[in-house]
Amino acid sequence: MSSPPIWRLVPGQGLVHRCHDGECVLFNDLTGDTHLLGQDVLDVLGLLREMPQAAAQMATALGADPQSDPGAGASILAELDELLADLAALSLVEAEAAVGAEVEAMPC
Amino acid sequence: MLTLASLGPRELRARLRGPGLRLQTGPFVTCVHSPLASLADSLGAMYAEYPVLEEGTLADFHVRLSGSTGLRRLLRPQVHFHYDGMAPFQPLPLGQAFPMFEWAMNWCVSSQAHSWLVIHAAVVEKGGLAAILPAPPGSGKSTLCAALVNRGWRLLSDELTLVRPGDGRVDPLPRPVSLKNASIGIIRDYAPAAAFTRPVADTVKGTVAHMRASSESVARAGEAAAPAWIVFPKWQAGAPAALTPVPQARAHIRLAENAFNYSLLGEAGFHAVGRLVETARTFDFTYGVLDDAIAVFEQLLAERA
Repeated sequence: MSSPPIWRLVPGQGLVHRCHDGECVLFNDLTGDTHLLGQDVLDVLGLLREMPQAAAQMATALGADPQSDPGAGASILAELDELLADLAALSLVEAEAAVGAEVEAMPC
Repeated sequence: MLTLASLGPRELRARLRGPGLRLQTGPFVTCVHSPLASLADSLGAMYAEYPVLEEGTLADFHVRLSGSTGLRRLLRPQVHFHYDGMAPFQPLPLGQAFPMFEWAMNWCVSSQAHSWLVIHAAVVEKGGLAAILPAPPGSGKSTLCAALVNRGWRLLSDELTLVRPGDGRVDPLPRPVSLKNASIGIIRDYAPAAAFTRPVADTVKGTVAHMRASSESVARAGEAAAPAWIVFPKWQAGAPAALTPVPQARAHIRLAENAFNYSLLGEAGFHAVGRLVETARTFDFTYGVLDDAIAVFEQLLAERA
């Protein structure tokens, strides 16, 4: 059984952003694009800036508890997986090697 | 100050044929070379009050508009545009020389002037406050701009809004207002005293004519303005004039889409647009009658007073 991926910010992303009334614009340092995101998505990116982590760890940090409420937890994890895939397509995040691999230090 | 009108037609043509006409428009000096009499006449009519600088003055852009040579000159005469010796565009029929000059001037600024965030937008000013009107072709942007400047607003530009990245103020670039198709007759009727070029048919944009910028707009071309409103206009037949607020983050994305050099400026462009939407109020605006539209802009101004 494969381990869940550990997600991290793509190196070089500074998460330069501006937020207004729950909506944010984010400057993509690698592509030069600007993305329109919800505040909750920016919160997810902020978690990954603190440290690389798995979706389950992010869900807990965001207030969900997949352990105590497996049904709701599974739903949140599915949403997070979909979101992370979308963010990966924008070159904002990427999956590291599986659990057990060394977690690289984030660049300053 | 030497103006184009003060040169007189003979000297104007001599400069265009010889050392070049150094024409100042807003912050830019363009050195124009051309042997075309029709272009000289149109420049004389549309740029009469603009400053002309002496030979040898450094120019930001060097452009040449010339006619065809050989048999082409007799059979199907064309106008060719050259920028610094390059020919970035296909030639156009000779009758389109002045529209080509205007489009080429827009191209020079939008492709070179990266000291500013350059937005594809009209911009007008009153009371020191600027209204920026970004919109795609066909939205009625230039029609609304022409109406506003004929009802007391100062023309900063009908096509290119120059935002200083440092302090966010808008530098004027007043040049003739480009009108297309039905808008030409609408503005002729709305502003009978305004000066227009003869309409030129069958261009890539349909029939086009240009309206001369007001004397005040030209005289105050050195006075920057503070952006107060960003209004995305849309003309709809019979629609009442109505403003709908646009959330700032969405306005940011739409402004970025309308900026020529947003990506090129990178993070500086991101923050320039960010400051703009935080400083100015942002709206969608539908209108069907010009007088109603003017009244809405006056109301916006009154609310700031």
